[in-house]
Amino acid sequence: MKRLIVFVVALVLPFLSMLPAQADETCMSPYIAKITGQEDYVYVWTLGVEGVGDEQDKLVTIGANPAADNYGKIVDVVSVGGRNEAHHSGLSDDRRFLWAGGLDTNKIFIFDIHSDPAAPKVTKIITDFADVTGGLVGPHTFYALPGRMMITALSNNVDNGGRTGLAEYSNDGEFIKTHWIPIDGDLRGATKSGQFADGYGYDVRVKADLNMMLTSSFTGWSNYMMDFGAMLNSPEAMKRFGNTMVVWDMHARKPMKVLDVPGVPLEIRCAWNPENKYCFTSTALTSQIWLIYEDDAGEWQAKAVADIGNPADIPLPVDISITADDNGLWVDTFLDGKARYFDISDPHAPKQVYEEVIGSQINMVSQSWDGERVYFSSSLLGNWDKTGDADEQYVKLYHWDGEKLDHQWSIDFYAEGLGRAHQMRFGAYAMYGKLNPYIEGVQTVEKQLTGEDAQQVEIDG
Amino acid sequence: MFKWRKSRVVKAVALATGLLTAILFGSGISAQTSGSLDAGETFDVEQAFGPGDIKDGYESADYQTQSRSLLSRRGIKQDLIQYIVKPPLGLPSVPIPEDNPVTREKIDLGRLLFFDRRLSINNTVSCANCHIPEQGFTNNEISTAVGVEGRLVIRNSPTLYNAAYLKHLFLDGREISLENQVWQPMTARNEMAAPSIGYVINKINRIGDYDGLFEAAFDGRGADIATVGFALASYQRTLLSADSPFDRWYFGKDESAVSESVKRGFAVFAGKGQCAVCHQVHHDHALFLDHKFHNTGIGYAVSTGEAMIGSNQTTRVQLAPGIFTELSNEKIKSVSRIKSFNDLGLYRITENPADRWKFRTQTLRNIALTAPYMHNGQLATLRDVIDFYDQGGISNELLSPFIRPLGLTDQDKDDLEALLIALTGTNVPQLVADAFAAQIGELSIDDPNWAHENTLGY
Repeated sequence: MKRLIVFVVALVLPFLSMLPAQADETCMSPYIAKITGQEDYVYVWTLGVEGVGDEQDKLVTIGANPAADNYGKIVDVVSVGGRNEAHHSGLSDDRRFLWAGGLDTNKIFIFDIHSDPAAPKVTKIITDFADVTGGLVGPHTFYALPGRMMITALSNNVDNGGRTGLAEYSNDGEFIKTHWIPIDGDLRGATKSGQFADGYGYDVRVKADLNMMLTSSFTGWSNYMMDFGAMLNSPEAMKRFGNTMVVWDMHARKPMKVLDVPGVPLEIRCAWNPENKYCFTSTALTSQIWLIYEDDAGEWQAKAVADIGNPADIPLPVDISITADDNGLWVDTFLDGKARYFDISDPHAPKQVYEEVIGSQINMVSQSWDGERVYFSSSLLGNWDKTGDADEQYVKLYHWDGEKLDHQWSIDFYAEGLGRAHQMRFGAYAMYGKLNPYIEGVQTVEKQLTGEDAQQVEIDG
Repeated sequence: MFKWRKSRVVKAVALATGLLTAILFGSGISAQTSGSLDAGETFDVEQAFGPGDIKDGYESADYQTQSRSLLSRRGIKQDLIQYIVKPPLGLPSVPIPEDNPVTREKIDLGRLLFFDRRLSINNTVSCANCHIPEQGFTNNEISTAVGVEGRLVIRNSPTLYNAAYLKHLFLDGREISLENQVWQPMTARNEMAAPSIGYVINKINRIGDYDGLFEAAFDGRGADIATVGFALASYQRTLLSADSPFDRWYFGKDESAVSESVKRGFAVFAGKGQCAVCHQVHHDHALFLDHKFHNTGIGYAVSTGEAMIGSNQTTRVQLAPGIFTELSNEKIKSVSRIKSFNDLGLYRITENPADRWKFRTQTLRNIALTAPYMHNGQLATLRDVIDFYDQGGISNELLSPFIRPLGLTDQDKDDLEALLIALTGTNVPQLVADAFAAQIGELSIDDPNWAHENTLGY
């Protein structure tokens, strides 16, 4: 067995540096090296909760390799101080660092995840995001571009509403430029194609082969920090949601076209196949899947292509995840706790083919590149999650065989004294030319590969 | 039912006052829609009259955005002390505490503090979070305020316009001076959540932006529990707004200043509507206040669970322009942390059972700019408020005797609404332009913050 591991590593290591700069696990930037095999860890950006553990935000590392003795266990917790409204995180293009943001305090924590993938370390904290960006508030998506981190914001420091922009940073955490979302008062050269140019922001994705960057829209600080029930009862607050997506010239960072996508378009997932010139989003309030596609004339268009559940009930679709072959789309609906699988082989007519209740509430979904492992987490926002017994906080792993989900393990984030589990990102030793030391025998092999204890390996062999 | 529109208000105010054509003396602002500033820049006066993220007509499927760019937002500092020296027409002289005479240095310092988000525990909330200048120094966009970490405040943010005259601060009247009042939001756990007064003072002393400013404003005295209050109160005391079309007509005797509808509205206001019983008008000035507390029934209704969640099984919720749904209240409750908006008002302070659900009378000046209305922001429009009082409030054993069914006609209501719109002060653009010029205090790399230092910092 040990000989086999040595053989495999010997074959793989020379090629690690030659991996094409392709996509990460199905939903991230094409400029990030992807884990096509088994992930070793899941990094969970977790919201601190008063009365739970140390009550502060933290990065929780969970063992994810079934061959390792830490599989399905919490292997590390890094508390970062404060309840920052931990939300999304994103990997740098070299996949050595994980950037994790706080929607409330605007702090961005940069973790080194390559030196010891089992024990991330904070290497930098950006505290002046609102100051240097000219008033952007709520760093949300961290999306790697070559040598850069593109960060969407949700709000501003003037009226705490939804007018906002994107901030571009260098990989070493230095601010470069603010790119404001086009708005009626300053379309910045973009075309307002419909009724709306609200200037709101949320997610960002690119179709690099088409030089297209796409952004979506959510709501401002006053709403996303407010008690969900109070907001639903405030008619004025319910008017303060995004109804737009913006097509950008990716290289020029220039907004080209504002598309009407009413009802809060959130996560964006673009097709991987270069021939598939489209991306998907789901609208949180109107509960629809929308297709953003390049038409025969080369124009980007948006249209609703499917309902998600019964929109009148507001199932509240939140995260979505596209499969690597562009044929499937997971859609999590927060309020009914369901994971729904849509067949999107015809992108103009998605069909739901499967659903499973994962918990009393559900938010994020992350799948492995091969789609066989699907992770779910529970928390939407600190003041939007359900209350009482329905406030389940978890990370769960399921196996997907193409027809049904098969539960593998769950971690109860309240029982573990952690908090609200939000976004999950994967880590793997192979990204850094290392082997998982928690797999039996691997430590010995590593020593052999580094020239240490070579004699022992030979004897064992 | 008629829906009040900000744009309609602006238009009405402008037409009534000649705002679009008159040059406002001494401000550096042309009152033209886009006038020249001293610095050669422009200030669109309309941006002073409501949110830049304009949602007028959002209920309709035909809604079109017309939002303003934050990048185009420009301000110009004003000499605010002028309003203290000579209050706008319709306002009395300003009561100034003997121990805190107003100076330009204090006003400037108070303005800096007012917009400084670093004074909160996590550097996210300033006074201006809830008192947004272009939104009537309140918040038009939400019914009840939001504090640090999104903590719920169960009351609507009151306007700061003409707060200089208030004898009782807060809607339950628990404070007696602006100087004292400033510390409560800063240290309230559900507002700015600073852990103590000393924490704030220490923080100010370590933020470079304040170097020497307190000493210059207070004869060498630094930041302390008194001077922070003095400075913030001095700025807020200057937010005086009047010289409205109503003032020019009623006190200035300019018959052309308002429409006939406004004049009829005032007759209803002072007569059949009985509004002037609490919103008083005197022979030489009007604060539209009685400095008293009244039970309108709204607080009572909330306590009995009827007002916020509603007695129906569902609540109508808007999802997008022209798209609504009826959402079950059970579903709303499942994501509500606050199960009750119970608010007993003045009783919280006096513990006198007779004071249950009483709240301080609020001024009507600039009322067209300060939606939503009532102590919890429950009523969205001026017409909603007029209808509420016309029906006699909400019956309860402690309902104010001044509130009873009025029998107003539609014409009466239209006229009353016209009057209320005519109470918008002509210097609103100056006060907002001044606020737009203010520095927003954001955490910088040089400020005290645990992330960059290993000391307690306090």
